[in-house]
Amino acid sequence: MKYPYYPGCTLYSKARNLDRCGRLAAARAGFELEELPSWNCCGAIYNTNTDDLAAQVGPVRVLAKASQQGRRLVTLCAACYNVLKRANERLHATGFEQDRQRILEFVDEPFEQDVEVVHYLEVLKELGWDAIRQRVVRSLNGLKVASYYGCLMVRPREVLKFDDPENPVVMDELMATLGGEPVRFDFKAECCGGYLVINRRAVADACSLRVVENARTWGAEAIVTTCPLCQYNLESAQLRRGTVLTPVFYFTQILGLALGLEPAELGFEDNKLDPVPFLKEKGLL
Amino acid sequence: MKRRIGVFVCHCGINIAGVVKVPELVERAKNIPGVVTALDYVYCCSDPGQRLIRETIQKERLEGIVVACCSPNLHEATFRKAAAEAGLNPYLCEIANIREQCSWVTSDRDAATEKAEGIVRTMVAKVSHDQPLVRLGVPIVKRALVVGAGIAGIQAALDIANAGYEVVLVEKEPSIGGHMAQLSETFPTLDCSQCILTPKTVEAGRHPKIRLLTYSEVAEVSGFVGNFRVKIRQKPRYVDLDACTGCGICLEKCPVRVESVFDRNLTRRRAIYRLFPQAVPNKVVIDAQHCRQLQGKKCGVCAKVCPAQAIRYDDQERIVEEEVGAIVLATGYELFDSRRLGAYGLGVVPDVIDSLAFERILSASGPFAGEVRRPSDGRVPKRVVFVQCAGSRDSNQGVPYCSKICCMYTAKHALLYRHRVHDGEAVVCYIDVRTPGKGFEEFYRRATDEGVQYLRGKVSKIFRRGDRVVVWAADTLAGKKLEIEADMVVLASAVVPNPDGVALARRLKIPVDGWGFLSEAHPKLRPVETLTAGFFLCGCGQGPKDIPETVAQASGAAAKVLAMFGQSELYHEPVTAVVDEEICVGCGNCERTCAYEAVRVDPHRGKAVVQAVMCEGCGACSVACPAGAINLKNFTKQSLTEMVDV
Repeated sequence: MKYPYYPGCTLYSKARNLDRCGRLAAARAGFELEELPSWNCCGAIYNTNTDDLAAQVGPVRVLAKASQQGRRLVTLCAACYNVLKRANERLHATGFEQDRQRILEFVDEPFEQDVEVVHYLEVLKELGWDAIRQRVVRSLNGLKVASYYGCLMVRPREVLKFDDPENPVVMDELMATLGGEPVRFDFKAECCGGYLVINRRAVADACSLRVVENARTWGAEAIVTTCPLCQYNLESAQLRRGTVLTPVFYFTQILGLALGLEPAELGFEDNKLDPVPFLKEKGLL
Repeated sequence: MKRRIGVFVCHCGINIAGVVKVPELVERAKNIPGVVTALDYVYCCSDPGQRLIRETIQKERLEGIVVACCSPNLHEATFRKAAAEAGLNPYLCEIANIREQCSWVTSDRDAATEKAEGIVRTMVAKVSHDQPLVRLGVPIVKRALVVGAGIAGIQAALDIANAGYEVVLVEKEPSIGGHMAQLSETFPTLDCSQCILTPKTVEAGRHPKIRLLTYSEVAEVSGFVGNFRVKIRQKPRYVDLDACTGCGICLEKCPVRVESVFDRNLTRRRAIYRLFPQAVPNKVVIDAQHCRQLQGKKCGVCAKVCPAQAIRYDDQERIVEEEVGAIVLATGYELFDSRRLGAYGLGVVPDVIDSLAFERILSASGPFAGEVRRPSDGRVPKRVVFVQCAGSRDSNQGVPYCSKICCMYTAKHALLYRHRVHDGEAVVCYIDVRTPGKGFEEFYRRATDEGVQYLRGKVSKIFRRGDRVVVWAADTLAGKKLEIEADMVVLASAVVPNPDGVALARRLKIPVDGWGFLSEAHPKLRPVETLTAGFFLCGCGQGPKDIPETVAQASGAAAKVLAMFGQSELYHEPVTAVVDEEICVGCGNCERTCAYEAVRVDPHRGKAVVQAVMCEGCGACSVACPAGAINLKNFTKQSLTEMVDV
């Protein structure tokens, strides 16, 4: 199965490992990601100024490009997923017809068909946990993993329809499939502090550390996430504080590990908080 | 020869007269063929209004009247009675609804007057064809069925039984008392719930006029008001009720332990059990799902130790049939499953419990014999946060309505906690405190005076930190965000109708609201009747309410049943279907269409036969009949055609 795939800017820079593990693990899981040609930035944050149509042009162009490749567009980055899905929803909203026309006139790419924006995790779930379980070559061996969804994956509920926004479970199901022990914790879908790390670092750190500490309270040994900013914040807040450290992975890294990617392919060198000693200690490397 | 018809136009204060030009309508009505007089009055339903109608009927020797007023749902009965008093057959009085169907929904005065005239003309046409009818008399079986034996069902059953009529009281649990048996003390007087309930359960259990069927459910109801046939399914109890003495030896010897639902999973009971030691009937029951013997494994311990030899592993389900005249639904409530509020951590964060679990903790017969301790480690909690509206008034994740009893029981919980743990801190997070009841505001004041802290703001999140529970709340009066570290959290979960009660109501076609609460026939004036004749309701199955209100409503439902039993026979509306046997070919369309099982095709004669007492006069069969052989009395095809033709 081949899906049009939109990596997004961050997956070409800071989150290279999210992207690369995602592509390689997809091949192992039995599907293929075909990157959109000449894609552009999604805008990174969904613009909530209703009169700012210019902000819709970016994501709408991505959707138009995707429509030329296929019916569904797969994303990996939580922020891209959120922005594209919301822009797509708004494009079809009643009362938006005139604005839609203006945006489409501005975008140089034609729409070939309606596109559905899906997340990589949804593709995995559709393949079926049993199918994935059969492809696991290195079981996580009961590793206690807390799945951290942050805010972008699950909200707003009415548009994303991804999972229960108070208690999402898709990633937990994946971790269980890979042989890990999913750890339910209280801050699965709370904010990591987001972009406040730029100008209100103490506030962001407090948010991130709260997430990590609560995961530890419930017995987590590692945290997985889908969002480059969450991953960055959770790691760097711990490094700044400098006490007990809990490794924070992209879920594609853990998926790749379990599906048998080579250590060199897993991109651990890009994790600020080196997880290699931890994985060795757990007998997973 | 045309009938002499009178038209009476009611102003309904300004409800009609404010829109419809009444004097003009009266003048126009006088010109309708057959109308010999037309009058108007400010309130026709009032005593002088009815007198005007009676006197006019007699003076003008009227043979039919049309009252142009509000909906026939409101006053058809009133005016038909007035007509009858004046010597006119009541079915020769028709209502022209010019309020709901005209003045309330039309703003243009001329258009409204035009429309009102049309409605009056239609009804004049109808009354010209109406036949005088006589109500049908139906005998009443003077026995009642009460479904549910919580405090509501018990009270209704006792009131009916004490008036001398037999009652069949059906309860799905192994013993009676409902949720009230789980409670500790009751607001606002703090009487012990058990102490005020057990005399009633004992009386209901021993009453010579009450047939108590526990561990039983209503399977089927057929028939009609005054003459219901009920099938009741008695679940296998595996214990001979007559033989069991309730000695309790089996309860000590049974090797299986399962979580006790009665104790909200805070304690474990055996596979053979009774809900609580003072249960009525004080007999045990075997939980087949968990019993080793009944699951095909080797055991049989209870049968060996039972001195009364009461154990019956081969017990079977039984169907009991009863005939009753009235049915009281007292199917009760359940707590909203607050695990659905993901942010509150119920069921996963240790020491977050719901309000019924806290009742069990406070109860002297509960898991800690009335001492307040945490379920996780048995420690005495030094700070307890009570979270109100956990599911209530939450249209996103819970229910939009107010559960009504939570403000008061939360005040009680906090107060009782402070009585038991003197150095303990009780914090209540609330949206509004609602205390509309006798002694309620004073009770809430007492709680605040005795040191319970009230914080106004909705709780956003509850989570675990070490062995404590952290509550994120707000103090919206001070404009502050709060983080409270507590030892235990009690959620005031919303009240929802018991799902088994909702399923029963759906099976019996008793209307329920969007949340499953039983709908009363009129929200103000007929609060204990349903729209289905012969079915009455009381208790939390109809809506959240406290004990005094439940008991009052139960007595109200009982009074309605007794008023019915006080009559020598019931009357059935004579507007029923009649078959023209000359035309009927016995195709059976009518039988398939009838929702009331009132029409059957006689297999010998090949003709449809209407059982008039079961016919509700809906007219569906008349529409379904391809030959036009069934007509509804006073709604004949000729009459309907002329009504449309005006």
